[in-house]
Amino acid sequence: MAAAVACRQKGIEDILLIERGAYLGGILNQCIHDGFGLEKFHASLTGPEYAQRYIEQVIEKDIPFLLNSTVLNLTPQKEVIVINDKGLHHYKAKTIILAMGCRERTRGAIGIPGARPSGIYTAGVAQELINLKNYMIGKKVVILGSGDIGLIMARRLILEGAEVLMVAEKLPYSSGLPRNINQCLYDFDIPLLLSHTAVDIKGNGRLSGVTIAQLGKRGGVIPGTKRRIACDTLLLSVGLIPENELSRQAGIILDPVTGGPQVDERGQTSIPGIFACGNVLQVHDIVDNVSLEAEYIVEGVVEYLEGRLTKEREIKVELGEGLRYVVPQRLISRKDTIFSFRVNQPGQHKVLLFEEGRRLIKKKSLRRVNPAEMVRVKLSSLELEGIKRLKVRLV
Amino acid sequence: MHREFICIVCPNSCHISVEYEGTNIKDIKGDQCPKGRDYVKNEITNPLRVFTGSVLVENGDFPLVSVKTSSPIPKQYLKKVGEITRQMKVEAPVELGQIVARNLLNKKIDLIATRKIKKINKKNSLLS
Ligand SMILES: Cc1cc2nc3c(=O)[nH]c(=O)nc-3n(C[C@H](O)[C@H](O)[C@H](O)COP(=O)(O)OP(=O)(O)OC[C@H]3O[C@@H](n4cnc5c(N)ncnc54)[C@H](O)[C@@H]3O)c2cc1C
Ligand code: SF4
Repeated sequence: MAAAVACRQKGIEDILLIERGAYLGGILNQCIHDGFGLEKFHASLTGPEYAQRYIEQVIEKDIPFLLNSTVLNLTPQKEVIVINDKGLHHYKAKTIILAMGCRERTRGAIGIPGARPSGIYTAGVAQELINLKNYMIGKKVVILGSGDIGLIMARRLILEGAEVLMVAEKLPYSSGLPRNINQCLYDFDIPLLLSHTAVDIKGNGRLSGVTIAQLGKRGGVIPGTKRRIACDTLLLSVGLIPENELSRQAGIILDPVTGGPQVDERGQTSIPGIFACGNVLQVHDIVDNVSLEAEYIVEGVVEYLEGRLTKEREIKVELGEGLRYVVPQRLISRKDTIFSFRVNQPGQHKVLLFEEGRRLIKKKSLRRVNPAEMVRVKLSSLELEGIKRLKVRLV
Repeated sequence: MHREFICIVCPNSCHISVEYEGTNIKDIKGDQCPKGRDYVKNEITNPLRVFTGSVLVENGDFPLVSVKTSSPIPKQYLKKVGEITRQMKVEAPVELGQIVARNLLNKKIDLIATRKIKKINKKNSLLS
C-alpha cells in the first residue's frame, strides 16, 4: 500500500494492487500490539491502526485493488496471472513492485528429535489463531526462539490466561528487539534462557513435554543440563524468510543471505522494471522502515517508467567483516542511496566504514549494534560521486 | 540500588544504567535524550503500559475486535484487564477509535477499538 500510494503521489495513474488475503494490510492485521508508526506517524499505533492509515489513503486516492486474489505466475516480461473466485486473469504491466512479505521458518521444528504430537505452532500462526480467529492454542506454553513474534506472543498468551514457562534461545543473545524483551518477558517474569534449545519432544496425540538443554560454545549439548519441562504447547519463533517463490519462478536472482532479490539502489531486481520492497526484499523489524523503503524505491519506479533509470557503471557492493548482509547489493548510478545492514553479532562502540579501496568515503559510529535491529545509512550522491568500488565493513 | 533499563519510548532502545534510592535517581548513564530519563523515572515510580488485546464481536465480519487502553495504565493492572476482555462481548458494527468499555476496575481505564468491524447478518465471517 505504501508503494502504491507513493506511485499515485508521483503521478502514476494506472496502478493495481493484488492481495491474496481477504483484507488489505497483510501481517499488520494480526499484530494487535502497539509500537508501530513511531517514526512515520510519531504515534504508537497497533498493527491494524497502522494499516488503516494506508487503507484510507488507498481509498482516498482511488487506487484499485483486488482481494482474495493470488498471483500464480510472474514472468520476466512483467506479466502476471491472478486467480480469484471470478477465474484466471492475465495482466501485463510496465513495471511490477514485489511486496509479498515473508513466511516463518519451520526448520527449527523439523530438526528436533522426538514425537510429532499436536500442540506445536509457529509463533505467527499462533498469533493469527488467537488474534484473528478467536482460537486459544494451549495452557502451558514453552517458546523456542526469541524472535520478536515469539516475544510478543509470550505476553499475549499471558494476557489470554495461559502460563508461559520460558523462552529458550539457541544463541547466546536474543534475536528479538530489546524493547520486546523488556515489555513482553521481564514485565511478566518469564525467564529467557540463552544458549538453550529443545532436544526432545514428548506426547501421544497432544504434546506433554519438551526436554530443554544448555548448549556449549560450539553449539553442542552440555552433558547433564537436560531438563524435562511439562507443557501442552510449543511455540517456534525461529526466524522469517522472504516469500520469493514467484520471484524465483520469474528467474530473479536472489541473495542467499537475505533470501530476497538482489537489488540495485532503487530496489530494482535482476530483471529491469521489477522492483522489490518490504519483507520480500529483506526481513524488517520495524514497519516504519517497510513504508519508508517502499516510498524510496518508488523514485526508481518513476525513473524507470520515464526511461531515466539509466546505468552509469555497475558496481557490486562488497561486504567486509562484521556484517551479515547489505542491501542494495549493487549500484548502477551514484545517486543518494540508503543502505540497510544487519550485523553479525551484538556489540558496542562500533564504526561502520564505507571505503573505495583504501579511501574512506564515509564513517558512521554506532553506539550499540544488534543483529535484531536493522541499520540504515544514507550516502549522498556527492559522497558516491565517481567511485569505482565500494566496500562496507564494521570494525 | 542499581538497575539496567531498556528505554522503550523509541526504537533506539537505549540501554540505561541507573543508580537510585527509592524514587530518587542518583546517577544515570546511557540515556540519549531527556525522554529516557523520564521513562526511567516512571519505571521506578509508576510503570505504565498500554494494554492491547481483543474482544469477541457478535455479527461482525471478524470474530474479534482488537482493542487497546486509551492511555497507558499501571503495569500491575495488565493481567486484570486481560481477564475482563476475555469475558467481554460487543456488537458489530464497531468503528476504529470507538470506546468499547469504560472505567474498568474503577480506575478510569477505557478500552478503544483499534480496528473497524462491519456488521454482517449471516454467520459468514471473512475468516471462517
Ligand atoms: C508477527 C510480526 C510482528 C511484528 N511486530 C512489529 C512491531 O511491533 N513493530 C513494528 O514496527 N514492526 C513489527 N513487525 C514488522 C512489520 O510489521 C512487518 O515487517 C511489515 O508489516 C511487513 O510488511 P510487508 O508489506 O513487507 O509484508 P506483509 O504484511 O506480509 O504483506 C505481504 C502481503 O502479500 C500478500 N501476498 C503474498 N504472496 C502473494 C501472492 N502470490 N499473491 C497475492 N498476494 C500475495 C500476503 O497475503 C500479504 O498480505 C512485525 C512483523 C511480524 C511478522
Ligand atoms: S532515551 Fe531517548 S533516544 Fe533513547 S530510547 Fe529512550 S526515547 Fe529513544
